[in-house]
Amino acid sequence: MKTKRKGLWHELYANRILFLMLLPVLVYFLINNYAPMIGIYYAFVQFEFNTSMFNMNFVGLKNFEFLWKSGKLIELTVNTIGYNLAFIVLGNVLSISVAVLLSELKGKWFKKITQSVLFLPYFVSFVILSVIVFNLFNYEQGVLNTVLERLGAEPLDVYNKPALWIFFIIFFYLWKNFGYSMVIYLAAITGISEEYYEAARIDGANTFQRAWHITVPMLKSTFVILLLFSLGTIMKGQFDLFYQMVGNNGLLYSTTDILDTYVYRSLKVTFDMGMATAAGVYQSLFGFALIMVVNGIIRKVNKDYALF
Amino acid sequence: MKIREDSAAIWFRLLAYTVVIGGSVLCILPFILIVSASLSSNESIIREGYNIIPRDFSLEGYRIIFQVPDEVLRAYGVTTLVTVVGTALGLFLMTMAGYVLQRKDFKYRNFFSFVIYFTTLFGGGLVPYYILITEYLEFTDSMNALIWPSLMTPFLIILMRSFISSAVPDEVTESAKIDGANDFLIYYRIVLPLAIPGLATVGLFLALHYWNDWFSSAMYINSPEKYQLQFYLYNIINTSDFLRNIGAGTGIVLTEGVPTESMKMAMAIVVTGPILLLYPFIQRYFVKGLTIGAVKG
Amino acid sequence: MPGKLKKSVGLLLSVVLLLSLITACSSKNNKPAESASSPQASNSPSAETSESPSSEPAGIDTSKKVELQFYMLGNAPKDLAKVEAEINKMALEDLNATVKFNFTTWTDWDQKYKLLLSTGQKVDLIFTAEWTQYQQYAKKKAFLPLDDLLPKAAPVLNQFVPQDMWEAVKIDGKIYTVPATYKEYVTGGFVWREDLRQKYDLPKPVDMATFEAYLEGIKKNEPNLQPVAIGADVAAALSDAHLDIARDIVGPMPYGVFAPYSNPSQMTNYWGSAEHLEDLKLYRSWAEKGYISKNELNVKDTNQDKIVNGTAAALLGDNPTRYNQTLNNMKSLHPDWELGYHPYGLTKGYATPVHPIHNGFAIPAHSDNAERALAFYEKMVTDKRYNHLTQYGFEGVNYEVDNGYYKLIGNADTNGFLRENMQGWAWRNPEFMLFEPSYDGVKAIFDELDKIQKPDIYTGFAEDYTEYQAERAALEQVEKQYLFPLLAGQVADVEKGLATFMDKAKQAGLEKVQQGYTKQWLAYLQESGIQ
Repeated sequence: MKTKRKGLWHELYANRILFLMLLPVLVYFLINNYAPMIGIYYAFVQFEFNTSMFNMNFVGLKNFEFLWKSGKLIELTVNTIGYNLAFIVLGNVLSISVAVLLSELKGKWFKKITQSVLFLPYFVSFVILSVIVFNLFNYEQGVLNTVLERLGAEPLDVYNKPALWIFFIIFFYLWKNFGYSMVIYLAAITGISEEYYEAARIDGANTFQRAWHITVPMLKSTFVILLLFSLGTIMKGQFDLFYQMVGNNGLLYSTTDILDTYVYRSLKVTFDMGMATAAGVYQSLFGFALIMVVNGIIRKVNKDYALF
Repeated sequence: MKIREDSAAIWFRLLAYTVVIGGSVLCILPFILIVSASLSSNESIIREGYNIIPRDFSLEGYRIIFQVPDEVLRAYGVTTLVTVVGTALGLFLMTMAGYVLQRKDFKYRNFFSFVIYFTTLFGGGLVPYYILITEYLEFTDSMNALIWPSLMTPFLIILMRSFISSAVPDEVTESAKIDGANDFLIYYRIVLPLAIPGLATVGLFLALHYWNDWFSSAMYINSPEKYQLQFYLYNIINTSDFLRNIGAGTGIVLTEGVPTESMKMAMAIVVTGPILLLYPFIQRYFVKGLTIGAVKG
Repeated sequence: MPGKLKKSVGLLLSVVLLLSLITACSSKNNKPAESASSPQASNSPSAETSESPSSEPAGIDTSKKVELQFYMLGNAPKDLAKVEAEINKMALEDLNATVKFNFTTWTDWDQKYKLLLSTGQKVDLIFTAEWTQYQQYAKKKAFLPLDDLLPKAAPVLNQFVPQDMWEAVKIDGKIYTVPATYKEYVTGGFVWREDLRQKYDLPKPVDMATFEAYLEGIKKNEPNLQPVAIGADVAAALSDAHLDIARDIVGPMPYGVFAPYSNPSQMTNYWGSAEHLEDLKLYRSWAEKGYISKNELNVKDTNQDKIVNGTAAALLGDNPTRYNQTLNNMKSLHPDWELGYHPYGLTKGYATPVHPIHNGFAIPAHSDNAERALAFYEKMVTDKRYNHLTQYGFEGVNYEVDNGYYKLIGNADTNGFLRENMQGWAWRNPEFMLFEPSYDGVKAIFDELDKIQKPDIYTGFAEDYTEYQAERAALEQVEKQYLFPLLAGQVADVEKGLATFMDKAKQAGLEKVQQGYTKQWLAYLQESGIQ
């Protein structure tokens, strides 16, 4: 005990410059993120105007009720997690493989241009994307049905096929976002020392082998970071993507409704701070529990990769 | 041996070209649709939808936007200023933190990493945050409200930590310490130059975040001359959304009229155009060998 | 560079300063962010109202200069700064006050409106309407009661607004908003392409049967034209409109409860009833016959745009003003097309002019300058200089009066202040209003409806859903998921679809919600002396 306390002061003094360098960031998070956390208390009170939060009536878990009243909580939870898992797995596989392929390519201009082009979709907002998608798939005038018609096939009512939308949602998510993580992996690949490759070349490894045995393993720590951040928010869905693509179309909700869209719809007309906060708390607790487990496992396997 | 190497390389390259070119086509198609729509007349978009080549060429959308150019030009100014200041400041603070958090001899690095990471899990929601910005920080209607909320994210800090830890070997830091340099100097003179690809990446993301932000304008800005560029696009879209969803019973008729489809698309191009050039510019820092040269020099 | 540097230094400084502030605050007693601001904010107005009447019976104390925060929905006009400067010149002289006109824009306006009222912002005047949930906010005391304040701070306005209007906006016996006095109709009516009707000799839509016949004729003769545009909000654009014209519902009632205008206390449950099934089958037949798009729920264009650009032939229901705008927009692109209109009122035998709640301005409970705000608002409504400036801009620069009509100078793209560009619906003053010649058509419709007018008995009702909040939110979801597809005619087996919807709705607590609503509705009818 005694040594520990001495350790802290000693540590503070010995690393005072390091602490000072960290201070602005800590202060920022304290103000910007920790202070507003007091608002979590809203989840447990009946919201009222003209009174402070702590004078409002404490209602226990009443604000959480609407989450299961519709009988959809399990379905929503499963949808939300399912989509996010698909995004994490497929997203990382795709961006790692494209980054590795790109890094092995020669041709400075070709590389530059294709990299930029692959990053383009990140700039298309979901609102605009949803308009394009509607143009592709709408029953009467959509591009798809125009083509099908010309081929003499039956037109397809895409907006009445919930199963199809699982693929569309995943596809458009990847399409828009894989460029972002690809850039991260590209930067990580840049950081790998050329010496490893030289050594491998001398050992007679071919391009595939070099990519598989050197590049991919070196991306592990980057992957773990991306993984931990996406797992922590696994209960928080990509609201814009789902909301813009599906909108009011209840026919597709069975496969495309996630917690965020549900909460948005339910509370759009009921302006209750308590219920909105309650939904957030549910999402956070889930992510928190999950992340504690996963980080614990990572620590066991390799301490260096763990986040904390 | 040599032959196998060659055929593998050829196959690899063939695969790479196919995937990359195929992906690029998929990625650029919608963009072409948007450009084409921005150059079409509104009526042809509504009647016939989008097309790769404008069916009925018209500069109407751009004409409306630039008829009174002050708004858009001013918004360019606001966004550029916010992006530059925010990115510079955020990058500086985040690299420092990233550096500290990866120092193996810094005992509490895991604790502080957790403190930062924890904020991605829990949040108080919009209401307390709104109160913080408007009542406590008093940022309403000021540039601070545009810079402050995006200044740093836990993700970018942890990413920075990882970039620095892989780019800067521990021995380099240790030998500098033995030479008597203090921690800040080590960071400034040695770590920063070594971590350039990481800096470029994190800086790029932060800049994109600032450039794409519209929510801060929507929530905290009251004076139109301080709106971010991206907000103009969202407001055009939201105004037509509002008009689409508002029932007949409200009796609302806006004299400003409904923004046209071609105007929306033209605005999308105007808003994203310049930032598209940022990535190619950043790419020059993604060069291998930079690290080794810097250490040896 | 120095500017940027100064900014970053300033930001850093504020970080450090605020750290001490926040830590001090949270370590002491974990005070919530808003507790510090709200007591003082809610104290001051009530103190004012209670003490002032005795000390200063007439007029208000204007010795201290104040700046009023004025909030309106929508986008700001381009020339707002000029108008604001001119208004401030006058207001400073008249009331020793200046005003800042703030606009929420249409981006997240509902979110922002909610935040402004619930986080204790210093807002002095804010727009209210039934579609911004005036009744609910008033019931929850988000606004200041104006009863005592009006005679003192705004005696002219108090006289100007007729007594029955003051009565009509009362919630729980108190006035919380200043209603607009301009009388208009926002009731529905059929809209259709008249030139096509004549071309193919189709019947004139006056009720559901003739409307359907018109759609059938269009489908047959113009297969590429969508007969009727409904849009994604099928509940309002299809169901509510249909219940209005065909079943005489008292207003757009929620939760599938139904009360006819002629006998509002006779409440029934529409959802799940034989009538409901019949209506859903009708919508299904429309979808099958191709009168509406198969993807109506995902449509991205506005219904009016579809008429203007010739991709749809008719609308089930629109109000006279918007019909007129659609007509004008269409004429500017296609001068040879015609658009017909038939107000439901002519078929139903009565029409209800807008309820006074429809447009108003309230003083939020946290305002520090309630008296001055009300006095200023009085100027906006009753002083022609203020009123014309904020409705039409500068005469001679933005508009001119031509033969008694409003005339815009230049065009809509270059003129910095269009007619009613501040969305000044609430402070319209019928005595000062200027109209464009194209509005004469609307006035003619209004005149016709005036002959058969009856009061709106629905809008004055303020529902309090605290009791069944959770069920209500769950129900919202069930409605979108199971009822909307039925409304859009996208469920093949209507009976089964309706049964599923009713099952899910009951699970979500439909009965509790309906009972709660019905009880309150009947109490309201009794209280307000309607039957």
